[in-house]
Amino acid sequence: MGNFLFEQTVNGVITGSTYALIAAGMTMIFGVLRAINFAHGEYYMLGTFAAWVAISKLEVSYLASIVLGVAMAALIAAAIGRLVMQRLVGAPFQAGVLATIGISLILQNAVILAFGGGYKVFEGGWIAPVEFFGIGMAQQRIVIVVSAVLVFGGLEWMVRKTRMGKSIRAVSQNIECCQVNGIDVESVVRRTFLLGTALAALSGVLTAPVNVSVYGGMGEAITLKTFAVIVMGGMGNVRGTLYAGILLGIVESLVSGLIGLQYRDSVGFIALLLMLMLRPHGLFSQKARF
Amino acid sequence: MKHTTTRRIAVLTVWGAAALIAAKAQAQDVFKIGLVSPLSGANARYGAFANKGANLAAKEINASGGLLGKKLEFVSGDSQCVPAEGVSATKRMITFDKLPIIIGDICSSVTLAMQPLAEEASVLLVNAASSNPTITYKAGVGGYKWTYRNYPTDEGRAAIVLEHAVKNRNLKNFVVLSVDSDYGRGAINFTKKYLPRYPDAKILSEDYYKESETDFRPVLSKAKNSGAQAIIMYGQADTTPIVARQMLEMGLAGKIVLVGNGEFNTAKTIAAAPTVMNGSIEAAAWLPEWTSPRSQKFVADYKAAYNGEMPNNHAYTHWETTHLVAAAVKAANSLKNEDIRNALSKIKFDSAMGSVTFDDHNQAVLPMVLLEVADGKPVIKSAIAVKVDYPK
Repeated sequence: MGNFLFEQTVNGVITGSTYALIAAGMTMIFGVLRAINFAHGEYYMLGTFAAWVAISKLEVSYLASIVLGVAMAALIAAAIGRLVMQRLVGAPFQAGVLATIGISLILQNAVILAFGGGYKVFEGGWIAPVEFFGIGMAQQRIVIVVSAVLVFGGLEWMVRKTRMGKSIRAVSQNIECCQVNGIDVESVVRRTFLLGTALAALSGVLTAPVNVSVYGGMGEAITLKTFAVIVMGGMGNVRGTLYAGILLGIVESLVSGLIGLQYRDSVGFIALLLMLMLRPHGLFSQKARF
Repeated sequence: MKHTTTRRIAVLTVWGAAALIAAKAQAQDVFKIGLVSPLSGANARYGAFANKGANLAAKEINASGGLLGKKLEFVSGDSQCVPAEGVSATKRMITFDKLPIIIGDICSSVTLAMQPLAEEASVLLVNAASSNPTITYKAGVGGYKWTYRNYPTDEGRAAIVLEHAVKNRNLKNFVVLSVDSDYGRGAINFTKKYLPRYPDAKILSEDYYKESETDFRPVLSKAKNSGAQAIIMYGQADTTPIVARQMLEMGLAGKIVLVGNGEFNTAKTIAAAPTVMNGSIEAAAWLPEWTSPRSQKFVADYKAAYNGEMPNNHAYTHWETTHLVAAAVKAANSLKNEDIRNALSKIKFDSAMGSVTFDDHNQAVLPMVLLEVADGKPVIKSAIAVKVDYPK
């Protein structure tokens, strides 16, 4: 039993790392825009799809497909950032909800139109099994966890030490003050959006080899789960997102291992409801930041 | 000028009369059968296959003299796989076209909605592709006297797969991992219904996945720890490669096999994790690789008729069901649908899959193909017919 619990915990950490990677971007975008990006899962999908195209049509290596996939998603995100997201600065929250849900529908259906609605098999990645404390897993899963740790380390450093990070923090605390002090809020929003969506795309390409299937609607479930993670972590709190993502991953794994897979998705939603009722400012801060 | 007009009218009248007589003669020489299937919407591909299969059979039947000298023609209706649409297509066929026989639908929910209409109008409804067991639970001695089904049910599939897994492969300990839908849960319920036939066999745990699920490791860990020999999976075709790939990384290849249904034997699935898929067991109503001469001839004729397109299961079942109806007409030596119905009940029809008879629920007792994957290829193990235990 102890062994089993350990194995499920490891499974959970791996899944949770993916959640955290995607959610980091969503929480940062929320920080600067006060808008939930309901199209966040679609950038995850776009990155995966672009990498799939790169591998199956251009026949590049998996490593190159990571770069191409993230670059392609970032390119689309750059256009959407300029055309849509930066206009949401100071707009009422309904505008953000409608705009991002609209973008989500457009991106999903554009991909289905271009590549068909069927599932595609993602070839590539380091899927050879390795033993890790007696637990068999694909090498790719270790890559995912290591990448998550590196990304969060990098984000932490960026937010504290760089000018961009400081301006992100400033904008998320008080937009008017930033505008008075000569910080280009729209540019900060654009860059944060680009960074956040690129992280989602990266997460997509990293998980594709173990999730195998690629299809237009794959981002939808991700958006909902990510939403639960950023609420648990505290909206806008990057470090909290890492812990919350991994926590959700572990609890989900234990629930599906001990109770049943059919209850897995309910974990996130129950957590979301409880958090909104009891601790709307997240697990890791005493009071709301905003 | 006036002269020519009169002549024109006279000519037209003669032509018109001739056309009318010809049409009437033609009407007497044609026997029309309805074909309800999804021709638009997500399942349109299946409807297209069904129509092509049925029309090929009609062509063959007409080439060898037709139905008691009459030419067989299909009137096609679109159900969109939506019960309301299927009902209106059926009503049009019954009320306006006055068709005595209707073949349809592919989607079980549509067929269930068509049954009472056919019953009320005393129209013979022959189903060729719906797998929900309820359709024939409610037919024959179960109620609807005019519904017949020439297709195996989900129940039969579950029973055959279980029997092969336990008896021929000596698998005893199963875990369930099926899709969380009527189909996935239904198939498991039927598996459990037939499980007591094998005292040694048991199901250790049950898990159902949501359609968008991609992480099966928690369940696979559980399966590994519980000492399961096989996973009973009635799942989505698109999920099978994910499960197989994750079994591979967890080192379960060769230790736990998949049994059930979900395109286990297609090249795409096998390529995802060949060592995992080896030994997996699946049951299908028909597949193009089936080697009986009649089946091979159908595949060749179908490809010749439709630009080399490979027929699918629905093309075959509609082709075969059309021939079944023709055989019943011949046996009845009558085109009255009551006579045809009585002939169907008594028929012993040699299909490409083997002998077809109907039980007292008007359900065809017909063989299904049992497949195993070996060395990366589907291998046909046998064709088994199953007798259904009807709920009392």
